[in-house]
Amino acid sequence: MSAERLSAALLVVLGALANVALVLLSAPFFQGVQRRLTARVQSRRGPPLLQPYFDLLKLLGKEDLESGEAPGVQRVAAYLALASILATACLVPLGFPAPLGSAGDVLLLLYLLLLSGVCTLLAGAAAGSTFSWVGVSREMMSMMVLEPILAVALCVGAVHARSFRLEAVLDGSPWLSGAPVSGGLMLVVMLLAFQAFAGRVPFDVAEAETEIMDGPLSEYSGQKLALFRLAQMVKLVVYAALFVGLFVPWGSGWPFPLGFLFFWAKAFSLVVLVALVAATHARYRVDQAIRRYSVLLAFSLGAVVLAALGR
Amino acid sequence: MPSRILLSKLATRFGPAIERADLPDPDRLFVYVAPAALREICSHLFGELNARYVITVGADDRPFSGKYLVAHDFALDREHVLGSVMALLPPDAPRVDTISDLVPGANWAEREMRDLVGIEPVGHRDPRRLVLPDGWPEGVHPLRKDFPHDKVPEGYDPGRRFAFQDPPAGCTVVPLGPFHPALDEPAHFRLFVEGERVRGCEYRGFMVHRGIEKLAESVLGYDDIPTLAERICGICGCVHSVAYAQAVESAACLEIPRRAEYIRTTLLELERLHSHLLWLGLACHLVGFDTLFMQSFRIREPVMWMAERITGNRKTYGLCLVGGVRWDITPEVRSELRQALATLEGEWRTLLSAVGGDRNLKARTRGVGVTSPALVRQMGLVGPVARAAGADIDCRRDHPYAAYDRVEFDVVTAQEGDVWARLWVRLEEGLQSIRIIRQCLEKMEPGPLRLDLNDALPPGRIGVSSVEAPRGESHHFVVTGDDNRPRRWRVRAPTYQNLQGIPAMIQDQMLADMPISLGSIDPCFSCTDRLETVDLSSGAVRTYGEAELRALARGGPREGQGRKHGGLV
Repeated sequence: MSAERLSAALLVVLGALANVALVLLSAPFFQGVQRRLTARVQSRRGPPLLQPYFDLLKLLGKEDLESGEAPGVQRVAAYLALASILATACLVPLGFPAPLGSAGDVLLLLYLLLLSGVCTLLAGAAAGSTFSWVGVSREMMSMMVLEPILAVALCVGAVHARSFRLEAVLDGSPWLSGAPVSGGLMLVVMLLAFQAFAGRVPFDVAEAETEIMDGPLSEYSGQKLALFRLAQMVKLVVYAALFVGLFVPWGSGWPFPLGFLFFWAKAFSLVVLVALVAATHARYRVDQAIRRYSVLLAFSLGAVVLAALGR
Repeated sequence: MPSRILLSKLATRFGPAIERADLPDPDRLFVYVAPAALREICSHLFGELNARYVITVGADDRPFSGKYLVAHDFALDREHVLGSVMALLPPDAPRVDTISDLVPGANWAEREMRDLVGIEPVGHRDPRRLVLPDGWPEGVHPLRKDFPHDKVPEGYDPGRRFAFQDPPAGCTVVPLGPFHPALDEPAHFRLFVEGERVRGCEYRGFMVHRGIEKLAESVLGYDDIPTLAERICGICGCVHSVAYAQAVESAACLEIPRRAEYIRTTLLELERLHSHLLWLGLACHLVGFDTLFMQSFRIREPVMWMAERITGNRKTYGLCLVGGVRWDITPEVRSELRQALATLEGEWRTLLSAVGGDRNLKARTRGVGVTSPALVRQMGLVGPVARAAGADIDCRRDHPYAAYDRVEFDVVTAQEGDVWARLWVRLEEGLQSIRIIRQCLEKMEPGPLRLDLNDALPPGRIGVSSVEAPRGESHHFVVTGDDNRPRRWRVRAPTYQNLQGIPAMIQDQMLADMPISLGSIDPCFSCTDRLETVDLSSGAVRTYGEAELRALARGGPREGQGRKHGGLV
């Protein structure tokens, strides 16, 4: 192997580590911001911005209780949940080109995101309590409608970019060719569905603390819970990065500090939006949520047809 | 229709079956009838005369009349009459025909009477226990007069289990409680769920019994009981102490000073304001809307402050005594209250418009937990639950007490009977409460705060009192006694009836609607459970044995050494 190829490979590994470190470190901070913001809306002072880090540290230091039906599977589900979302993080641009962006295509991205959802199902099934099973069935119903919306969004981009390569798709591809009709439609759909992807009120039906006691996670504690919580925080950042890369990439090409800061400002505003929506809504019932997803799915299918027609 | 006319109606129809009647007031009627005719008279009363079922009371009257007493309390709301149809039962094998098939709302009360007093409701279709723990020995009835308040009966069987029904075919059992984020107190619902639909439900509660009635009947005195009554409930404590005091005053024909009546009214309405805000907050939390939860608790804070200015306490005001009140509202406090009320009213109106325009909240509460007017009648549902289903009943207007006959207010009703209607009724009631408090502060006349009571109260008199608590009618039944304490004191909190309506409300609903449907009646389990002995053995995963748990809870050394207060926690 030539020295050039070796240094290129090293660069990719370092880049992937950088992406992983970036999302791992920033995700709890974003949640800290969300909590503070929520507190302000609720006339409370709210916790310190760094509280989510403390919470995670505390959970990591706690006794690891094994209360579910299949403790081994529960453990694997927790590791896999974080691992799959971190792998996804290497595929999306975070203010600079994605380190593994050329290693996979849109389908890989979809599979990895699906895998993180499957981990939740696995966790609930392994826990085996009544409430976790209710959570699993709700999560499954939501996934069946939500995942296609994401797939369609990426397809719209792929059709316009005439490529499934991630570098091409996650660079504002919906605006690349023809009239921006399908891109605009998809942008609106994804914006409306974003709260559901983030798994927050009004769409947190699969966890719904006051109904089914956190559903799939109801038998989790200690380290495993910490991993799941961290995975959920990272998920929000990754989805925000995906959204920015797909629909609003402008400015990402600017020289280093500017483009980087501009990217995170955009991701940050999405996070703020999620917190504000969560603070001003009541939770939907699972059937009401699914009905809303279905309408969004219908519109997104319309968008992909339009994209195929070159619109 | 004064009670005299009602009595003559009953007398013409049932003539010889009516043994005796007391009419201490034009709006009170106590009829003693022959036990054999009790069921028929109740059928006439609740069926043709359209009386509202309130509660059934069983009492051990053997030391005084040599018999057992059973009383069915009723209310004729339009005619402003409250009363009891009573029968004395023979001391050996006390039995009485059930009325629970005629009045489904009597189901629990009759089972409770069987558990605690040992009066058998013949023909009751549910033979299971309601109040006593599963392992409690057969044939031991703690509210009998020969059962000491601190006795721990022999033969407790920790292995005995409650006979739950089998779920219908195709349904799985989802347990809600004894501990669940949607319940603030222990109660156990077994939901029969098909997919996400609730097809049925079963209830096993009464897990936090504190022996309050037994304690009052055997240890405390008339003026200690308001303090105890106030602790029946952490939210509507003032309601219970006022209802008790009024029942005793009514039994002893005491007329309390007018100023005391205004002060009672003021505090009762403050309690309603605080309770409705607390409910709104918790209901919003149940549907995941935490912002309104926090905001309504912020608005609630000044209400607690007002209570503290008057009584020195945010809650458990220690206000009420038999014959009057303890705390005065000084001119200084009065002007502070007026200011605080003005701010509160502004906030309340903001809340009304914010909630009224919230389509998301509406989507979660419209058509959920629906009660029909028929259910309200059958189960004797009360309070905002009944009023939201079009039942125009409110004890403040129908059976006026304290100063309610001297203030103007509207009774808020709605027709839909769902959670949204209940929410709306409660919010509108808040504005009426502010209106009432303002009038009280205006009309309050100077005078003494309480009667000078130097003579013993006459024994053997019966008094009933209904107070419109924030959750609905709180009904107290008192038989005065010797030794400066009542012989029998029966408390019926509004949740006791409203909770019995829950299975019908949640039938065929989504599982997700269960917490808010249950929450919408504002259930108070401590009010409902108020009686006898702890049940440690129901349902929980048993890492510790019961004996170990008891030892842990009560401190090891007392175990097995004739625990002094073992039966009453």
